[in-house]
Amino acid sequence: MPEITLTAEIGRPLGSRAARRLRAEGKIPGVVYGHGTEPVPVAVVGRELRVALSGEAGTNALLQLDTGDGTYLTLARELQRHPVRGTLTHVDFLIVRRDEIISADVPVNLVGEAIEVHHGDGLVDQQLFTLTVRAMPSDIPTAIEVDISALTIGGVIRVADLALPAGAETDLDGDVPVVTGVPPRVQATGAEGEAGTAEGEAPSGGAGPAGAAPAAGG
Amino acid sequence: MLMPRKVKHRKQQRGRLTGASKGGTAVSFGDFGIQALEPGWLTARQIEAARIAMTRHVRRGGKIWIRVFPDKPITQKPAETRMGSGKGNPEHWVAVVRPGRVLFELAGVDRELAQAAMERAIQKLPMKARFVVRPGTHGQSEVQV
Repeated sequence: MPEITLTAEIGRPLGSRAARRLRAEGKIPGVVYGHGTEPVPVAVVGRELRVALSGEAGTNALLQLDTGDGTYLTLARELQRHPVRGTLTHVDFLIVRRDEIISADVPVNLVGEAIEVHHGDGLVDQQLFTLTVRAMPSDIPTAIEVDISALTIGGVIRVADLALPAGAETDLDGDVPVVTGVPPRVQATGAEGEAGTAEGEAPSGGAGPAGAAPAAGG
Repeated sequence: MLMPRKVKHRKQQRGRLTGASKGGTAVSFGDFGIQALEPGWLTARQIEAARIAMTRHVRRGGKIWIRVFPDKPITQKPAETRMGSGKGNPEHWVAVVRPGRVLFELAGVDRELAQAAMERAIQKLPMKARFVVRPGTHGQSEVQV
């Protein structure tokens, strides 16, 4: 996995008002910690961080954090986002060593087309979007690909069926389903009779009938 | 329609709708979602209307998650009643929604169909809302700055 160099400013002012000013300047407040070191508040340029975390490795990219008085090998963790805008508001940089095993959440990507499921009007239901793997920092896979072309309705691909790359392992139980082929649920829940009556009364928004009133609780 | 099976107290105070949502702001189950951009009360009828609008447009395939639950009772006094004599009767149920909250999620359909279905559902909602995509999928960047 390639390492990306990122410049960080140390000695940023602390507190919510100062952090807000930093964000207005296009910087993102963060903190560097790990391996018993004192936590160091830092600020990184937002655009640089986005470029660093948008590469092939995604958010698991190994970052060489250059703070001016030293360089740390880190991983971005705990990306805090604004609830509406979705922009990054804070990031943790966890110091790692190249020779230690760490855990990381790796995205699970589906490849291929589940022809048998589609022919049966079924649905490919992905239940696991990220898999926590334990590996050396350089061995963390960028993504785990799951071939679903042989998936059938009622069929399940479990964690034990995944082909993890060499050097990576997971603590997750092998029985945990990753993706299943299920019959369409929309057809089942959206039955015409039920939906027809519901749609007729829904937009009116007037005083509810007795059935809509809260039950008399204790 | 959605409503609690039983409640500890039949009537509640109204509360305030300040600030942004503290949780449930990310697409967690499906690939696409509807995110509220304004605060408001979402009634059980509106939730059901939005769900039906989405379901009807998707027709077949697809799986829908409703991420909010109307657990707040709203009372109303009968028409032409003099003021006083206590709080009114519980009439309907609402979900308290603050900006950022993901209201519905959808999976198992392509992006165009999901967006069209969810835009129809948004028309049924009492607040501004938008179509969102799970970060890291469908060309959506994982990191926004």
